[in-house]
Amino acid sequence: MKLQEIADKLELSGLTPVFDKDVTGVYISDMVSDIIANAKAGNLLVTVQVHANALAAANLVDVTAIVLAQGKQPAEDVLRMAAKHEIAIFTTALNRWQVATKLYEIGLR
Amino acid sequence: MTEELRRPRYELVDVKPGFVIIEKEMYTQAARAYFSSEPSPPKEPYREGSQVWGFWETAQALRFAVKDTATGEVTRFDELLGLMFYGACDPSSDLYQIGDLAQDNKISIYVAITYEAPDGSRVNIPMDKIRLLNRLYNERIRSANKKILILPDLFGLYRELTYGQIMLDFGLTAMDGPAPAGQQGEGA
Repeated sequence: MKLQEIADKLELSGLTPVFDKDVTGVYISDMVSDIIANAKAGNLLVTVQVHANALAAANLVDVTAIVLAQGKQPAEDVLRMAAKHEIAIFTTALNRWQVATKLYEIGLR
Repeated sequence: MTEELRRPRYELVDVKPGFVIIEKEMYTQAARAYFSSEPSPPKEPYREGSQVWGFWETAQALRFAVKDTATGEVTRFDELLGLMFYGACDPSSDLYQIGDLAQDNKISIYVAITYEAPDGSRVNIPMDKIRLLNRLYNERIRSANKKILILPDLFGLYRELTYGQIMLDFGLTAMDGPAPAGQQGEGA
């Protein structure tokens, strides 16, 4: 499923440009070490973690984009770094469970 | 291409969750770290020669090995404290500037930071292991033209970085951005 399609269906607020990429699955985690060990390339990462190291971990394993739940907002330098690495960051007022259920409802597994 | 052909050759195996325990020397404020699978490190200061070391900070982390599924060979990475992203460095640093240039060509640079040796230097990580890490992460990438380049610490970064710059999970301070300077490791 295309990233833009997901962003539209969940009414996510884009904090960076949205890159033309496919999303092949979802991983939910707030731990850098867990992301490194278990997230997969092409995943959409759902988290409340806004630390720059979460972006570093997401980039290492080539996640497609990051959805920040509960209205979390990263620092400007993190957004700049994400854009440079072509990892889109979105924010939403939904919590992680609500994001997960909505992603399931639109067909992501 | 079939799923079988797409299956990665290298796999993370024997992944053990644990803790990076950071200690500080009472007089010199030198810091050092070690991996523990126990969540409760010794909190009492202890003497080591003329030095007095005490618990300072802990971070959740993993210890792992990499398996080459083609040969069955398993390589442990016990000396690896963590990876540091170039973007975690000061923008005026050599590594940041090299990383910034490399990223223009879709190459993301990380540095493998190892644990301290007993003499205060760093444990060496063989170049073959660095190559293995690079293969592990690069073979999974789906984004077009993207590359990961993990380097050994050729820059001597361990002398000046803070533990907060390494990709570790530092308690609740990690939830809201970088920890204040006074809560990070020094001279990691």
